[in-house]
Amino acid sequence: MWHALTSPSARRVASAVAAIGLAASLAACGSSGPTITLYSAQHQDLNQAWIDGFTKETGIRVEMRRGGDFELANQILAEGDASPADVFITENSPALSLLSSEGALAPLDSATLSQVPARFSSGANDWVGIGARSTVVIYNPALIAADQVPNSIMDLSGPQWKDRIGVASGGADFQAIASAVYAVNGDAAAGEWLAGLKQNAKIYQNNIAIMKAVNAGEVPAGVIYHYYWYKDRAESGQDSANTELEYFDRKDAGAFVSVSGGAVLRSSENAAEAQRFVAYMSGRTGQQILSATLSLEYPVGNGVEPNPTLKPFSELDPPEIDLNTLNGPKVISEMLRVGLL
Amino acid sequence: MSRVRSRAPATRRRPYPPARLAAAAAVAALTLVPLFHVLGFVVAEGPEQAADLLLRPRVGELLRNTTGLVIAGCTACAVIGAGAAWLVERTTLPGRRVWTVLMAAPLAVPAFVNSYGWVSVTAAVEGFGGALLITTMSYFPLVFLPVAAVLRGIDPAFEDMSRALGNGPWSTFFRVVLPQLRPALLGGVLLVGLHLLAEFGALQALRFPTFTTAIYEQFESTFNGPASMMLAGVLVLGCLLLLMGELRLAGRVRVARLGSGAARTAAPHRLGSLTPLALTGMAALAVLALGVPLGSLARWLAVGSSTAFPVVALLTTTLTSIGLGVAAAVATTLLAVPVAWLSVRHPGRVSRLLERSTYFAGSLPGIVVALALVTLTVGYLPALYQTTALLVAAYAVLFMPRAMVSLRAALAQVPPELDDSARALGAGPSAVMVRVTLPLIARGLGAGTALVFLAVVTELTATLLLAPIGTATLATEFWSNSYSLAYGAAAPYALLMILISAPAAWLLTRESRSERLPA
Amino acid sequence: MTRTSVRLHDRAVAADGLRVTSVSKSYGPTPVLRSVDLTVAAGALTAVLGRSGCGKTTLLRLIAGFDRPDSGTVTIDGREVAGPRGILPPEERRIGYVTQEGNLFPHLSVAANVAFGLPRRERRAEHRVAELLELVGLDAGFARRRPAELSGGQQQRVALARALAPAPGIVLLDEPFSSLDAELRESTRRAVVAALAATGTTTVLVTHDQSEALSLATRIAVMRDGYIVQEASPVELYQHPVDRGVAAFVCAVVVLPAVVRGRIAVCALGELPVAGPATDGPAAVLVRPEQVVLTGSGDGVPAHVVDIEFYGHDALVRLALRGANGEITARCPGHILPTIGEWVLLAVQGPVTIDAA
Repeated sequence: MWHALTSPSARRVASAVAAIGLAASLAACGSSGPTITLYSAQHQDLNQAWIDGFTKETGIRVEMRRGGDFELANQILAEGDASPADVFITENSPALSLLSSEGALAPLDSATLSQVPARFSSGANDWVGIGARSTVVIYNPALIAADQVPNSIMDLSGPQWKDRIGVASGGADFQAIASAVYAVNGDAAAGEWLAGLKQNAKIYQNNIAIMKAVNAGEVPAGVIYHYYWYKDRAESGQDSANTELEYFDRKDAGAFVSVSGGAVLRSSENAAEAQRFVAYMSGRTGQQILSATLSLEYPVGNGVEPNPTLKPFSELDPPEIDLNTLNGPKVISEMLRVGLL
Repeated sequence: MSRVRSRAPATRRRPYPPARLAAAAAVAALTLVPLFHVLGFVVAEGPEQAADLLLRPRVGELLRNTTGLVIAGCTACAVIGAGAAWLVERTTLPGRRVWTVLMAAPLAVPAFVNSYGWVSVTAAVEGFGGALLITTMSYFPLVFLPVAAVLRGIDPAFEDMSRALGNGPWSTFFRVVLPQLRPALLGGVLLVGLHLLAEFGALQALRFPTFTTAIYEQFESTFNGPASMMLAGVLVLGCLLLLMGELRLAGRVRVARLGSGAARTAAPHRLGSLTPLALTGMAALAVLALGVPLGSLARWLAVGSSTAFPVVALLTTTLTSIGLGVAAAVATTLLAVPVAWLSVRHPGRVSRLLERSTYFAGSLPGIVVALALVTLTVGYLPALYQTTALLVAAYAVLFMPRAMVSLRAALAQVPPELDDSARALGAGPSAVMVRVTLPLIARGLGAGTALVFLAVVTELTATLLLAPIGTATLATEFWSNSYSLAYGAAAPYALLMILISAPAAWLLTRESRSERLPA
Repeated sequence: MTRTSVRLHDRAVAADGLRVTSVSKSYGPTPVLRSVDLTVAAGALTAVLGRSGCGKTTLLRLIAGFDRPDSGTVTIDGREVAGPRGILPPEERRIGYVTQEGNLFPHLSVAANVAFGLPRRERRAEHRVAELLELVGLDAGFARRRPAELSGGQQQRVALARALAPAPGIVLLDEPFSSLDAELRESTRRAVVAALAATGTTTVLVTHDQSEALSLATRIAVMRDGYIVQEASPVELYQHPVDRGVAAFVCAVVVLPAVVRGRIAVCALGELPVAGPATDGPAAVLVRPEQVVLTGSGDGVPAHVVDIEFYGHDALVRLALRGANGEITARCPGHILPTIGEWVLLAVQGPVTIDAA
């Protein structure tokens, strides 16, 4: 490999590539000053809006590596102390809980934590909520009447739902929902629920696949996060035009909201700047940016209203759940036991 | 008259040249990094843990799915690829040039773009049938191209001989033509098999869980490295079976033509009244493999509200993709040369082991290969971490089989006697390589480079983990947008991927239309 | 670099020919060469003649350096290239090598093929290529052609020109004419021998074709089962083969039982003078068909014609002797032939050989 790269032509190509990469990053951030590195699993439009606003306000530049929650969390673990990452933001909280339990995250400034209600942050004070998505039922009105849509996620294990409900049990999203069921209803009821769901559910790879399937009439209803539906409606409606959304009842395990969070890595060499960035995202300006972009997630910061097309956050009443317990080994082993994983 | 005696056995086993053996061993060692990473985890977990994780119904289901897909996919690609190649090369099918290009073009459409296209047309493609359809449509050109090249080169005298000896056309095909196609056919099928084992993007959208999608799920759901690695261990075994199967079926045959004089060009088989049927079949293939994905891309460009053409971003990501693709393709092909050369010119236990070991990484999911390289570089070569050089190395590890198969086929066509002639004329081993061998396998080098380029342009996971920070390629941008459901915004990136892949696919059709080496 | 300064016609000056001493080689348990000795004088053309599988190609490959001997030494122009002191790789042996297929590089033009063995700066010199092509009887117009555009004979000539270009100390020809058809073979042979003679190059020609060896070589080494059984000039070989096998292999031969007394062998064809020394007693005499002459009258042994194989310029006539149950073959000129069943008288011209074995 290395000997190949020392050949003149390979070197030229490599340096051309490097120059292109450099040009791209220079184009992204024009000012000088300190630079921090962000590992982000969030949607790109939201990333960019946050970074642009932050750099404009502070002069601190932000470089970004993108990937899925799990890819980046595993990468950070593999990198260990040598990780180039300063800040990590996710789509769901379990990736942060994992890093927290491995001791990879630094404690956050208390001012940052106070910007967001405590139930949307880590109990260990090492990550903070920056956005939320709510669990919903998506259904096809041509196949199922609105009044038959369940009010509680627990109903879905009943025999009337045999082959009529779609879930993405392989994904982190569903595992968070299952965790909520365990937390709210206790092990015995939750175990029965999982077993019933295994009998009933049509398994899809992810939320988008469920939405498409419901839209196509392949399955009458499915469990997804709200924003997939809103985003598809905003894009074209091609996968959601035949469907409607229903939120679960208040305090039901199904009314669970999954939290996207941000954290500073313990190995960060730019801790001060990294803390500022996390404070920015979870603060008023950052949360308003979230509401304004097309990400269509709920803001979690104090006093910031969500995008007006969404059901108001105040009308959601999610159950109280310790986010650090989500997707714990117990839930996974139970899912393995019933064969959902 | 004395009886004719058989000659002394022709296996003049010459010793491995030490410098080339060392080079080949170094390349093999690089490609084995992910395998050792996986094995390290498996060993560390111990047998009990392994049994817990592997002996459960879910794994049985994955095994069924994966095995089924590999067997069916390889068979379908072999039949469709070889069938199309025969129609194009050896019959009176009109428009063979156009068909050659159309049959190679699906290589320019990434498998995940293909499945994205299909899924947005109909949900019926989910499950085994859909997975088989889409992967076959994406990968059959890997069989078509080498088989077409050989069909063009086969001396029709052998077929005439067979007919004269009383074999009908079918019997002639199976007893005379097929054996000559075998190395090329099996090489292509091996590549298809490896890709099916490692395929993630295309299958994820199709509700068809295999070991690779389960490995991603495992990483995602439990962040459980060891469990994922255990599943990857099963993939390694699958790859081992493929490699042994190919070796067993391929046997050792001399492909370089013996005898002098130029081969005649074959008279094409007359299709006659079957022509419309053949044309319909080929057209259907083109529509399924190309029309559907391209059509749905076009539709997304038209209907998506997020559709936009950010010229600077599109341009820089395109240039980055091209630059990385070219650098990785050239590096990978050059790295494959010593291993391929050794295995063809000095067949033996060691050279075969070295050659076979370069295929394993190709059967592993990108996430496993990438994490192995993260661990290696962070631990031992921190200066290389997240550099372009490391990314290029990762591509080389992932896509070495594509180059290896092309180079082996090309080298096998070069008579070793030419090496002797050049040595006698005073050229040393490296001069023979530069002045004789490499020019003679130029088309093979080109084919290998093009195949690697096509793969690099669409690679996602290793790029996300290992690229220098801030690097955006067409594949990462497509992923990032389609993941946010901004299909309209994603479509231009997919289109550009196809556009920059088109020249490479075209190059491959040139390769398959190449003429035989004159004797 | 010195070799490049040697002009085509100067090369014989430092030459000392080829010396192969006690060379043995086995592939696995199969011995292929058994203590072979062979000397080729500078400028001479020695043919190594033998049936396929006798080890002659292996011998050539050992001289060229493509294989290494198990024991023994090979010396070219006084320089040891293989032996106890080590093995020189082929590219350092200053050899020219031409094979049955010619093995022209298909990716290079004729000119580039011919210039392949020249140092880089001389490769573009067109006059050199033209000179060499002329040497092998091809005009300079061939320089631009591709190997695939040449006939087999032309390919072989180019292969020889390529081998001669770097002024090698020795040229090794491995059945170079056997893939050519008869007419082409003749003209190509003539051109090749002329070129080799013009440059005074030491040459080893490996062949299984007796007439090729007899007509082209200055010396012939006959190989059998890994041994060189006889090494002699073509005439010597023809007239005094060491045994019946060599005699029969070199040319057709009739073997008759005889009794030797003095220098005379008494057999079914009468009393025949013996060439060379012979011990008295029972023996086998070797008579060549061309020694047997058919006469219509006068002295002779009567025989009747059984069969005729007609070749045009001559014919092989099979004859049955009266009384004796032996058969004799005679080679007769094509223009005066007996008819089948005719009675004729036979006479033998020249001395006959006693089979030593």
